[in-house]
Amino acid sequence: MTWFVFAGDMLVMLFITVLAVWLFWRSSDEAIAAAARIPLEDEGEAQDDDASR
Amino acid sequence: MRYHDPVVRVLVFCSVIWALVGMAAGVYLAAELVWPTLDFGWPALSYGRLRALHTNAVIFGFGVSALMGTAFYSVQRTCHVPLALPRLAWFCAVAWQLGVAAGGASLLAGWTGGKEYAELEWPFDIAIAIVWVSFGVVFFLTIARRAVRPIYVSNWFYGALIIVIAMLHIVNSLAVPVTLSKSYSLFAGAQDAIVQWWYGHNAVGFLLTGGFLGMLYYFLPKQADRPIWSYRLSILAFWAFTYSYIWAGPHHLHYSAIPEWVQSLGMVMSLVLLAPSWATMVNGVMTVAGAWQKLKTDPALKFIVLSLAFYGLATFEGPMMSIRSVNVVSHFTDWTIGHVHSGALGWNAMITFGTFYFLVPRLVGAPLRSVRLANIHFWLALAGTMLYVLAMWGAGVSQGLLWLALDDIGELSFSFKDIMASMAPYYALRLVAGLLFFAGAVLMAANLWWTVRGRRTVAVAPPSVADAASAMRGDA
Repeated sequence: MTWFVFAGDMLVMLFITVLAVWLFWRSSDEAIAAAARIPLEDEGEAQDDDASR
Repeated sequence: MRYHDPVVRVLVFCSVIWALVGMAAGVYLAAELVWPTLDFGWPALSYGRLRALHTNAVIFGFGVSALMGTAFYSVQRTCHVPLALPRLAWFCAVAWQLGVAAGGASLLAGWTGGKEYAELEWPFDIAIAIVWVSFGVVFFLTIARRAVRPIYVSNWFYGALIIVIAMLHIVNSLAVPVTLSKSYSLFAGAQDAIVQWWYGHNAVGFLLTGGFLGMLYYFLPKQADRPIWSYRLSILAFWAFTYSYIWAGPHHLHYSAIPEWVQSLGMVMSLVLLAPSWATMVNGVMTVAGAWQKLKTDPALKFIVLSLAFYGLATFEGPMMSIRSVNVVSHFTDWTIGHVHSGALGWNAMITFGTFYFLVPRLVGAPLRSVRLANIHFWLALAGTMLYVLAMWGAGVSQGLLWLALDDIGELSFSFKDIMASMAPYYALRLVAGLLFFAGAVLMAANLWWTVRGRRTVAVAPPSVADAASAMRGDA
């Protein structure tokens, strides 16, 4: 069981390492910046809804 | 095409009501620990029943309603589409409130499965599973229909909350019903303990931490009006958090009958957790850097920044308490209660208060009625949390050390009764702290209610097609 857990841990570490490498080298700065700005650009004009009722 | 916000308004409203109910129960429990006769011999007011109502009302009523509401609010905006299946979203919102209310009544009536944070009996467990899966259907279908290619990081956290809590709840609730109000767990002995704390700790992890990190990653940039400091770090922290948290549960079972290697694994993975937790805290603080001047005028941002500080504190303290040589002092003492409340009051409640102060004026199209009241709430909440945590640290460390103290011939130096009698000042301080925190929550409820009364109804549309097309080009 201990070896099974150890192997699982190593696989997790491998995944995290690959993810880190991918994030820092493969994704472009522009794409990352665009994703980070999503919450700042997610609303159009607010409209008064009472007139439509 | 407009965002579907009415269901969010109802969930926020219900969350505030549950906050008042749950915190009032907590204050009453604190009073019972000072004056034990306050239960008046009535079973429904006994500590054992009322304590379960307190935890269920604040976690599942206040916390989950806030998480469901903010998930519905943010997923449509970060995907630039209205909620998928809005009627199912309404079902989730209404059924959840009815479930928590009926479940709370069942706890006062003495129905309990006896598992901490999973006390509700099997009929409620089935209902919870149905509502939770419906929540997932609405959330993930909205993401599937998104008009922007990247899935924003807050949605990763909300998604993990939905998937992991479904898995934990269903497995931990597996039981054999014997009557309508009683069932027996499918697991027994040490296995039952391991499954329970796999559930219990990850409910803390994926609901009270992961879910609220989803809230943080959406509402902090909104309030600071700045993108998250390092988006790469946020993604890395998400995966590290997800993979390490799931192993940490056995640290609740140190020095118990479970295998020693399981205890050690729980301790090691708890220490590993420090890295993603602090990565998130640093990311949050750096996001606010440069917008510090807003703290002078924006009470909502003040709450969120303070919540980050308590998040950092609680996520440092937790791994330290998981170390076995520390745990031998802290376990079964009020130190644990202090730790839980530094997270629950300082992190969960503060970030939710900040989010509500931001959200409600936008949902109802009216400015916050009183910034001054919100500022008073801030200081009451801070004072209440600090006093609570310090009182419980004092009580817990005293208990731990006194229980371990031996005299010259190796016998216990102090009796349990004597140690408990010495706790009276700490418990009185805790009651004062709870009253301060509760008073702040009452002020918030009144402030938000007055804000809603001055409302007009607003509907917000997704950005223009050109903006959406621009966002589609992102490939993170």
